[in-house]
Amino acid sequence: MFYREVGQLKTSYQSDQAVFTIAQDRWSFLVLLIVAFGVVPFFINDYFANAVLLPFLIYALAAIGLNILTGYCGQLSLGTGAFLGVGAYAAYKMTTAFPELNFIIVLFVSGAVTAAVGMFFGLPSLRIKGFYLAVATLAAQFFIVWLFYKVPWFFNYNATGQISMPPREVFGILITGPKAQPWATYLFTLSVVLVFAVFAKNLVRCRSGRAWMAIRDMDIAAEIIGIRPLQTKLLAFGISSFYVGVAGALMFAVWLGAAEAGETFGIDQSFLVLFMIIIGGLGSIMGSFLGAGFMVLMPILLKQSMVDGLGLAAVTAKHMEFIIMGVLIVFFLIVEPHGLARLWQIVKEKLRLWPFPH
Amino acid sequence: MSYKERKIGDTLLKVEDISLSFGGVKALSHVSFDIKEHEIRAIIGPNGAGKSSMLNVINGFYHPQEGLITYKGQVRRQMRPHQAAKQGIARTFQNIALFKGMSTLDNIMTGRLLRMRRNVFWQALYFGPAVKEELEHREAVEKIIDFLEIQAIRKTPVGRLPYGLQKRVELGRALAMEPELLLLDEPMAGMNVEEKEDMCRFILDLNDEFGTTIALIEHDMGVVMDLSDRVVVLDYGQLLADGTADEVRNNQDVIDAYLGVSHGDDESLEGAA
Amino acid sequence: MEMLFFLETVISGLLTGVMYSLVAIGFVLIFKASGVFNFAQGVLALFAGLTLVGLMETFGLPPWLAIIATIGVMIALAWLIELLILRHLVNQEQIILFMATLGLAYILEGFGDIIWGSDVKVLDIGLPQGASDFLLDGYGLYVERLEVVAAVIATALVIVLAIFFQKTRIGRALRAVADDHQAALSIGISLRTIWITVWSVAGIVALVAGVMWGSKSGIQFSLSLIALKALPVLILGGFTSIPGAIVGGLIIGVGEKVAEVYLGPFVGGAIENWFAYMLALVFLMFRPQGLFGEKIIERV
Repeated sequence: MFYREVGQLKTSYQSDQAVFTIAQDRWSFLVLLIVAFGVVPFFINDYFANAVLLPFLIYALAAIGLNILTGYCGQLSLGTGAFLGVGAYAAYKMTTAFPELNFIIVLFVSGAVTAAVGMFFGLPSLRIKGFYLAVATLAAQFFIVWLFYKVPWFFNYNATGQISMPPREVFGILITGPKAQPWATYLFTLSVVLVFAVFAKNLVRCRSGRAWMAIRDMDIAAEIIGIRPLQTKLLAFGISSFYVGVAGALMFAVWLGAAEAGETFGIDQSFLVLFMIIIGGLGSIMGSFLGAGFMVLMPILLKQSMVDGLGLAAVTAKHMEFIIMGVLIVFFLIVEPHGLARLWQIVKEKLRLWPFPH
Repeated sequence: MSYKERKIGDTLLKVEDISLSFGGVKALSHVSFDIKEHEIRAIIGPNGAGKSSMLNVINGFYHPQEGLITYKGQVRRQMRPHQAAKQGIARTFQNIALFKGMSTLDNIMTGRLLRMRRNVFWQALYFGPAVKEELEHREAVEKIIDFLEIQAIRKTPVGRLPYGLQKRVELGRALAMEPELLLLDEPMAGMNVEEKEDMCRFILDLNDEFGTTIALIEHDMGVVMDLSDRVVVLDYGQLLADGTADEVRNNQDVIDAYLGVSHGDDESLEGAA
Repeated sequence: MEMLFFLETVISGLLTGVMYSLVAIGFVLIFKASGVFNFAQGVLALFAGLTLVGLMETFGLPPWLAIIATIGVMIALAWLIELLILRHLVNQEQIILFMATLGLAYILEGFGDIIWGSDVKVLDIGLPQGASDFLLDGYGLYVERLEVVAAVIATALVIVLAIFFQKTRIGRALRAVADDHQAALSIGISLRTIWITVWSVAGIVALVAGVMWGSKSGIQFSLSLIALKALPVLILGGFTSIPGAIVGGLIIGVGEKVAEVYLGPFVGGAIENWFAYMLALVFLMFRPQGLFGEKIIERV
């Protein structure tokens, strides 16, 4: 009843192609932004930032990246973990080699380095498709992690083989290292993720997005209307990896503060991000956020309810988490292959008519 | 002829001595014909005669083992499909090849991709020139939507549309490329009479108003005879006849190929329609 | 001496390759019959191994009885998978089915661990251990007996499978389904039965793989990771070819052993993790359809 577009006429193509075509959506989004920027920072604490908000935002960014490649362009990738690692190690090498460099530039360079690596491993996509390509990305996953593990240059020859982030400031505010305040790390991450999310949304509704979807839906027909498959796929690999790389840099520098190749950027990480986009919704930027939120919150809630609530052993709870995650994935695939994003749309459709049945 | 007289121009495309085989199976052997500017050229023949293969050769999807293709005065042996697209060759498919996950509007917009210039940075910002470009092309696409009378399904995912409308959207996507040569592979297959009439009207209007050169494959002889200026007949990958609709209709070889035995009666050909 | 060492390396590689082939065959069976890229095949082997050990330890069953009981469990599992998952995903895209098996892998792993515990288990069903005296005394070659037994069993299994698919009624139906789902359905072949059968067979193949691998290095989580090793094997052999899976497995097994021994020391070792993938990747660039896969002619 309150959510409907009656009386909101679109008088130009521009307004018809806007992201939020309905006024109520625009207002809700604005409110969300005000809360995220103006309210949350005052109530945030260490636990809330490091266990919920930072992982949510950073994984959302990684999920957007993977969604561009897999959801929009249809190229299945199982190498996300390693690409997060490329971003992280690039950020580490940059900050330690050039201590004066602004962290925002470090982020961009990390993204660019990852984009280059991603495009390199995307080259086989010209000749191979589907699962064959997925296996090729697995090659990237294992090879890259092995490199970070075996080549001491990557971790500056230190004894532990770990990398850890020195404190850095942006606009005079400390955002990395153990002394960084939760509100600062949160606001910085939020801003970065928001900007990149908007960019991604714009890309997918423009020429690039349509070219990607054309390749995804029917690559032969795409080629016949003049889309060059290799360039288009490589662009998807590049931009996707850029996003994943920035997410990896944020993950290492702002959120975790330290990382170790095999532990932090293993194949589990690849699957985790893949699950996020399946559950959130393939081919949806909004879905990337929903999926990331879901996959970050679910283990926390499960752990709280099972370990603290039911008193199960932590190991059993971990196994239960595996089962529940598996069941949820299968459940979503069966009930709604388009994920939470589609469910959200259905809810909105229903809301238009509510409380009337027709 | 119920439509206005068109001016047929010079040769736009000429195929000479084209042979194509797949691991021993000959799809086309030594086929030659030409297509003139602004004409409607039909390619007919029984199933498996190599009609679709011929279109695939023209738009670069198949690479013939022998023969030459001359398009707009340029001689070539082969090229990639996207190069053909760049040079103004568009096509539709026998089995609809739309992008199922996208809306009608987006499907037709993909036809404009080649004409869009702004790079990813402008697109990411969605600002200034990128918006302007997007809106310009949206306008062009809306004209096509009006022309094909599919305004109502603008935002519908094409996977949900009925067959006839999908064919229309596919034509729309090809038109969005503003092609000089439009290849239509059985544009009316599986349609009912009204849908066929609509489709014929679109094809004739296109040819009249925009002067688009059209090569079409069609099984409905009535349609072929009404629409086309000249007809190529293929059988078992070989050229059987080439000429105006009337000439072809009275060609003994063609009649034999269609009926299997030589009776020499045009009535039966029309009956097949 | 050099030659002898090389020979030992190759033989050891071949025997590891047999294991890869076993897992890959499970993949191929399911992919051929249902177009499902079954990521859970490795976890299936883990689950089978865990169940076998669990039955032997918890209920004190003798090995032969435990094996029969485990086969029963694997068939029941195939039935459940069809009932709860596959049936609801008919006609979905392959990528969706693939991801469903990812979910299945998580479920099975959690389940196996909860029921039987997640500590490393020793599997001893009386397979011979230690070096083969015959080869050691006669030729000076050091070869594990267990691995020889594994190779023999795997060969026997492949022969049984071949007979099953070529000669039996259900085998013919399976091949029909592999060729064309729709056509097979239209002549009255039940897709349900077929799917349950292939998943059961794949489960049994997984059990064999689990037993072999488990006898060598214990039943533990890492067993499920052999699925990851089987992927490059599939690439090499083609997704739909059982001979391809076997040959691919052997090539990868030998290739990575030889590379580890002769190339590893120069680059810091542990290249086993990715060598198979790189090999497969390079191979893909030249022959995208695999060793025995059919060349795909794209039609429009």
